[in-house]
Amino acid sequence: MPALLEACSITKRFPGVTALREVSFDLRPGEIHALCGENGAGKSTLIKLLSGLHPHGSYEGELFFDGAPAQFASIADAQRTGLAVIYQELALVDELTVAENLFLGCEPRRGVLIDWDRIWRDGRALLARVGLDLAPDTLVGDLGVGSKQLVEIAKAHGKHARVLILDEPTAALAEREVDTLLELLRDLRRRGIACIYISHKLDEVFAVADRITVLRDGATITTLPTSATGKNEVIRAMVGREIAELFPRHASHPGEVLLSVEDLSAAAVKGGPARLHHISFEVRAGEVLGIGGLMGAGRTELLMHLFGAWGARLGGHLQLAGRPFDAASPVAALAAGLVLASEDRKRYGLILAESIGFNLSLSSITRLRRGALIDEEREAHANQGLFSSLRVKAPSLETAVGTLSGGNQQKVVLGKALMTEPQVVLLDEPTRGIDVGAKIEVYALINELTAQGKAVVLVSSELPELMGMSDRILMLHDGRVGGEFTRAEATPEQLLAAAMGRTPAAA
Amino acid sequence: MKSKLTLRDFSLLLSLLAIGGFFAIAAPQFLSARNLSMLTVELAITATLALGMLLVILPGHIDLSVGSGVGLMGGIATVLIIHHGWPAWAAMTGSGLVALVLWMAMGALIIRQRIPAFIITLGGLLIFKGAFWLVIGSHTIPVVAGGSSNLYSLLTTFFLSPAASAVLATLVFAGLVILNLRARRRRATLGFAVDDAEVAFLKLFVTAQGLLLFVLTVNQFRGIPLPVVILGVVALMIQIITRHTPFGRHLYAIGGNEEAAFVSGVPVQRTVIGAFTLLGGIVAITGLMQTAYAGATTTTVGDSMELDAIAACVIGGTSLRGGRGTVLGVIFGALIMASLLNGMTLLAVAPEMKFIVRGVVLTLAVWMDVKLARR
Repeated sequence: MPALLEACSITKRFPGVTALREVSFDLRPGEIHALCGENGAGKSTLIKLLSGLHPHGSYEGELFFDGAPAQFASIADAQRTGLAVIYQELALVDELTVAENLFLGCEPRRGVLIDWDRIWRDGRALLARVGLDLAPDTLVGDLGVGSKQLVEIAKAHGKHARVLILDEPTAALAEREVDTLLELLRDLRRRGIACIYISHKLDEVFAVADRITVLRDGATITTLPTSATGKNEVIRAMVGREIAELFPRHASHPGEVLLSVEDLSAAAVKGGPARLHHISFEVRAGEVLGIGGLMGAGRTELLMHLFGAWGARLGGHLQLAGRPFDAASPVAALAAGLVLASEDRKRYGLILAESIGFNLSLSSITRLRRGALIDEEREAHANQGLFSSLRVKAPSLETAVGTLSGGNQQKVVLGKALMTEPQVVLLDEPTRGIDVGAKIEVYALINELTAQGKAVVLVSSELPELMGMSDRILMLHDGRVGGEFTRAEATPEQLLAAAMGRTPAAA
Repeated sequence: MKSKLTLRDFSLLLSLLAIGGFFAIAAPQFLSARNLSMLTVELAITATLALGMLLVILPGHIDLSVGSGVGLMGGIATVLIIHHGWPAWAAMTGSGLVALVLWMAMGALIIRQRIPAFIITLGGLLIFKGAFWLVIGSHTIPVVAGGSSNLYSLLTTFFLSPAASAVLATLVFAGLVILNLRARRRRATLGFAVDDAEVAFLKLFVTAQGLLLFVLTVNQFRGIPLPVVILGVVALMIQIITRHTPFGRHLYAIGGNEEAAFVSGVPVQRTVIGAFTLLGGIVAITGLMQTAYAGATTTTVGDSMELDAIAACVIGGTSLRGGRGTVLGVIFGALIMASLLNGMTLLAVAPEMKFIVRGVVLTLAVWMDVKLARR
């Protein structure tokens, strides 16, 4: 079958680095082709090249679309040809309606005026096409991440895209939303739309892709039909080494209760409706408590509330290391020995323009003082210690954090949390959007923390991770505890049932 | 490892030389000892206010009320002395306390009630202006009764003796050398990038020449003006605060990403209120200097000084979105603004043109910064 989109021995150089080396890649009509590789393997660069962000002439090699040489000068150029990219950070305007977003930049007109009738009518049709049951005049800002993703796809559909490029589309989705998305992709495939699918989640890749291409260090390692390969082979190709065990959780010896939460209820704002209802749990020293649930179940809100960064308390008793604990702000939480590493690195985690060192010591800087001034020597030593023990890959502590890869940024976020010498560590999606190698380092770090007698609360959307790393698992559903399980007794089916609010007894 | 010098590091210095060169040719008296001495007083006033402004721009805020505040604080002290017979030191302290309270209140409104600083300080601009005129009864009041002098008027009429000036400049230079060597050694032991020895030497050498030239020039007139000493002290304090205290770190963090700073345990409210309070103190100091320089409080004292302060910050590389800016940059920015104004006054440029030129320079500076930053 002739390829719909083909890249022939592409080489792309940036000052000082070669991001892609003789990369070849082809996409057949009506195919879902997964692109796998660790962060920094060259996936994003390849996508930027295919989508016209790196224009023709800025790289060596040739692109072909539908058999003819393609020389995209810009993103708009690539879009006209029939390529659409759906980025991790969604390109939708929250303040506009769904229909307006669908036609943003190519509004149908009657004369010089916008043809609103067509926007509403065609918008409704496009939404139906992606199986989204929404009024076209809904504000995009009111939608969840999952729906936004579908709107993005509908938008690409409206532009008659023949190739969809999805960059980590499920990073922020709950399992059910992932299923909807994958089903939609299969449906599009039946209609002849080809798709390049980038994901760190191999389960999804194997569930949906026809072929898999693995990139490593800017080079194509292999392209395999999904039916003829397995996860281990793909992982081996990605990291270039065998990974015996993805989740090396050590046996734990829980000590005394460090954090106890009793009958906690909270609302987003004072006087608002409750978002967290009567939640109770405890975490012991040396223990990992996993918290799962669907998108919007209140996991992030729970952690942020414990940390004093979200919501208003409606009721409940909290104890930290046996003493009553009620953090009114992150400052108070940190002083009491509780720390949070947020899920959203760029928004809540890092000062991107500042250096690695600045970020690492940010939470601890008030302690690293001599008199009124910062003890720069002590600060540098503390930074250096974490920089090397976490193996952050960067030229120096003075490198701007914004230039690091996702995995290394996450290490800085974790390092910042660890420098505060906490007793209880709240980790919200600590492995989101980072590559396999970095994930394993994060898991090792969690083991190390519990070995030191700290208590860890781990929020994760990925069931395998939750089951692999937690000693006990708490499933949240709609702001309530849907069920609590020990590591030994938890099964994926039980956890999912609890996340969806069906207690096993009632089922 | 070495740190590289870029065109951007020199752009301010080059523009300053260009401006200075132009005026030296167009108006030879620009380089006279008397004029340069006055220029340093004007610089000191603009730069002091701009350094205060830096404190609130770093965390991403702005203050439009400082110009009115300068007038009001100078006016309060004047009225207390002339109409109420307060001793100068008490009147000056009094107006300083008023400024601290007012700016603390504005900071609290901005950060606790989440009202944009632009709006609150725009309100402040109008309210302080009105209050200023009420306080002085819209009259012109001299800062000192009769022909004598007091602590207030001395602010801009006192000069260090030439001998004391030379000693002070030597001490400052020695201090700079020692700090520089210590910083280099520390950075080297920690494995951070340091300047080449030649570059470091060159920088110190140029600084020494600058200091020498400055002292020789002002000594030909009367010696170092007191405002320059005040600027030196303020600059040193702000440098220490922004670079060597947790409070300063927090200012940069809030400007870089306020949400991340909050979740990292930065006391955002306290820090921003602190920055505004410090600015209040600096507004009072500037108000006293500016009024003393004018010799009397009149309804126009402080007019549009907020714009010069903001311009000095921006020209000096401070980002109005917060998170970026340095003390040295701001002083250079103020020097550029002060030289422009002084030179244009010497050339008897019409006030209309002065405004236009200042606006063009500000726009150019930002445009250049954006262009160079992209490299």
